[in-house]
Amino acid sequence: MTKLDAAIVGLGMTDMGKVYGRTGTQFAVEAIGKAAADAGLKVSDIDGLLVNYGLTRAVGMPLAADLGLRNLSVLSEIQAYGSSAGVMVMQAAAAVASGQATAVACVFSDVPLTEGKRAGATYSDPKNRLHPGFLGMPAGGGLLGPNVGYALAARRHMDKYGTTSEQFGHIAISTRKWAELNPIAQMRTPLTMEDHQESRYIVDPLHLFDCCLVSNGAIAVIVTSGEKARDLAKPPVYLHGGAQCHPGYIDERDSEFGLVSGAKLSGERAFKMAGVTVDQIGVREIYDCYTYTTLITLEDYGFCAKGEGGALAESGALAPGGSLPTNTGGGQLSGYYMWGMTPLSEAVIQGRGEGGERQVADNDYILVSGNGGVLQHHATLILSPHPKEA
Amino acid sequence: MSAENMLPVQRDDASAAFFDAAAEGRLLVHQCPQGHLFAPQISTCPRCQSTELSWSEASGRATLASYAVINRRGQSELPVAIVELDEGPWIRMQLQDVSTGDLKVGLPLQIRFAAPEGGEPLPYAVPA
Repeated sequence: MTKLDAAIVGLGMTDMGKVYGRTGTQFAVEAIGKAAADAGLKVSDIDGLLVNYGLTRAVGMPLAADLGLRNLSVLSEIQAYGSSAGVMVMQAAAAVASGQATAVACVFSDVPLTEGKRAGATYSDPKNRLHPGFLGMPAGGGLLGPNVGYALAARRHMDKYGTTSEQFGHIAISTRKWAELNPIAQMRTPLTMEDHQESRYIVDPLHLFDCCLVSNGAIAVIVTSGEKARDLAKPPVYLHGGAQCHPGYIDERDSEFGLVSGAKLSGERAFKMAGVTVDQIGVREIYDCYTYTTLITLEDYGFCAKGEGGALAESGALAPGGSLPTNTGGGQLSGYYMWGMTPLSEAVIQGRGEGGERQVADNDYILVSGNGGVLQHHATLILSPHPKEA
Repeated sequence: MSAENMLPVQRDDASAAFFDAAAEGRLLVHQCPQGHLFAPQISTCPRCQSTELSWSEASGRATLASYAVINRRGQSELPVAIVELDEGPWIRMQLQDVSTGDLKVGLPLQIRFAAPEGGEPLPYAVPA
């Protein structure tokens, strides 16, 4: 599957964040309606639907009926956690490239926030985690939720490479600077190193400002063939490369857990398919569930040498005006948390040149990452406003 | 020995023998016919995919592979770890009887067990 003639032609985003009183299905219907309108299509033109439910399993295949979509040629729920957005786009691209469908909607929708409850409560609620037997054993010992898993991963990186909390802080700060330029970002007040260092630990070594937001809402994209894309309402954003890597860490001595992520092989495969090198990437939209995730992902893609992610963050290269613009919409740390749809949506905006004051001039190649579980799942997309030469 | 920061976990068929041994203070790991040892929570040998597993008693000696400290607002902080058994497998568990300032990768540990009320005995680690 080295030739995927496909493009993203529609993007639909609901209000996101502390938006209460709406179901996952209602959010998803709105996002898909907006994505279709954005592309200049009617919802009834959609003949493929891929659905990624989030933590609350708020949406699924029955969404097709809510949209009034009958006789679909493609319909599936996709679940690869934070890598799902990339996986959906690749599956949609394969479907349109092979003639199985002509316009495939890919949607993520979730409603983890409940009014009056702490944002993290859903993600670390023992009721959601305390399975019987070995599955429940870590939770029984207090290791609840993803914060703990990522803290343990980050500590390995710090121990082996000397990465520091201040270096994570630089990522939080540069990402916030981008968010200040994005009207729909949830966190837009300037962040200082002092703010970062003095914010409470969620799980040491991760401070509050090392962790992403939690948001209600939905985002959808529509994928068509590159040929069809040229006749639609918005400038197409073409798929040049896409690949996954699911490392399959084994829990034992010499595991690379925390040290090397799926970005390494997924990136190599995607670069190869796109026929580009890391130096040609102008915009990086990295899945940033934690500052640490941004750091290790950039390292593994080859934007710096292994172990030098901290120094890269410190250098200012990732911030507005820097040489390696990264997470230009404020990412999941400061923008909005829609799993893999966060980096993908900003990549589409940048690819169309619709980034306003945060638009990066060199948008020829845009790298999008998705990361799921605690580093167990990774997807990479390489997008461009220019069609891929056959 | 303290289970005050633990939540009760019920046994299932796959974990029954492990918890029976844990009640006697013995730590079991999985072993396949070729002698590969792996963590109790893994149910198929990751090297040869054998499911003909037996239990092997581990020494209970381990080292700290990674650690983190959970800030439980309004309660004491809780150190947790990836513990590397001397035999090789990793198990994630809480740490006790250690001050967080003394935590460092490679710290020698000993595995113990504590049973929260209404649940099976769970492993935790203390400095050796």
